[in-house]
Amino acid sequence: MEPDRIKRKEVAFFGRITAGITHEIKNVLAIIQESAGLMEDVLEVIEDSAFAHKDKFIKSLDRIRRQIQRGIDITTCLNWFAHSPDRTPVSLDLNETSQQMVLLASRFARLKNVALETSPSDPPIVITSDPVSLEMALFESIEILLRAIDAGGKITLSPRKVQDRCVLGIGYENAALVKEDFPTQISSSERWASLQQTLTYLGGAAKTFGPTPEILLYLPDSIDN
Amino acid sequence: MKIRILLVDDEKEYVETLAERLRNRGFHVTEAFSGSEAVEKLKGYNFDVTVLDVKMPGMSGIETLDEIKKLKPLTEVLMLTGHGTIETAIEGMKKGAYDYLLKPCKMDLLLEKINGAYERKSEHEERIRKAMVDKLSTSPMSVFEK
Repeated sequence: MEPDRIKRKEVAFFGRITAGITHEIKNVLAIIQESAGLMEDVLEVIEDSAFAHKDKFIKSLDRIRRQIQRGIDITTCLNWFAHSPDRTPVSLDLNETSQQMVLLASRFARLKNVALETSPSDPPIVITSDPVSLEMALFESIEILLRAIDAGGKITLSPRKVQDRCVLGIGYENAALVKEDFPTQISSSERWASLQQTLTYLGGAAKTFGPTPEILLYLPDSIDN
Repeated sequence: MKIRILLVDDEKEYVETLAERLRNRGFHVTEAFSGSEAVEKLKGYNFDVTVLDVKMPGMSGIETLDEIKKLKPLTEVLMLTGHGTIETAIEGMKKGAYDYLLKPCKMDLLLEKINGAYERKSEHEERIRKAMVDKLSTSPMSVFEK
């Protein structure tokens, strides 16, 4: 079998297993959610004076509920990611893809004390592309910026149209912390070469731009074009 | 009268806990832990709403939905689904399910959908009753027809 087909099979295999596991984790979260909910229901009908620690229980249950929601958001995102290899090429809303990648990469950014957010385009930009490679390109871009900058600041993913071309900008805000050789530092890195390779596969190109550096991913409307 | 719910999911602890929470809110809830068990319970009782997990071992959610609609076409069905199985939920809605919910779902949203499903069933039953009354008034002898 050709190496490319084996790779695709491997990616699909990882996706299938991960998707199945996220489904199981959601079942666990659902049981915890309903159990905590049941405790809340019971507490609601108990008079304050009848249970000295009622407040503490309510606070703890509120914390449990927030963490369940966090778990649901993470597993939903992971499930979405795991289903990426299911079909290619597919229609992709760049706002949605950016939002999901922000969630998936948030831990990497948090470790560097960098905020990660999206600035959605209006109207949304929809392209036909390979989901796994596009997600990889976005993640590689975020990683390049995270490695090249100091702690603090904010990375923003902003899909937009530039002269009728679909562009996904991955920009960094915190000029005071940007090193002078930032663009050179980026474009000479191994990861940059890898990003270029991914973009070539997607039929696009990656460029750096501006004094407060931004990585621009130029993407075709359709991967076949 | 209490709304009669059939709750179907292979996750036993989920069904038991959710059933208790729904009972606390005044619903009459019956539990089933597989599609085939749900079908058996439907044969002996009229439920207003079935809350049905899409992904279960054995008889799938869609197969169970088919059986429900064959046995008790007026029973409304709410499908519980994950993000990866939304397409199955859509297929279910094409086959007559009232709506779908992403699992785990918030209680407020579940109650809203259950009440909506019950309303639709009641309206449907009312239309059938009205049609029978119309039939009786236009041809009273039809009462004696087999």
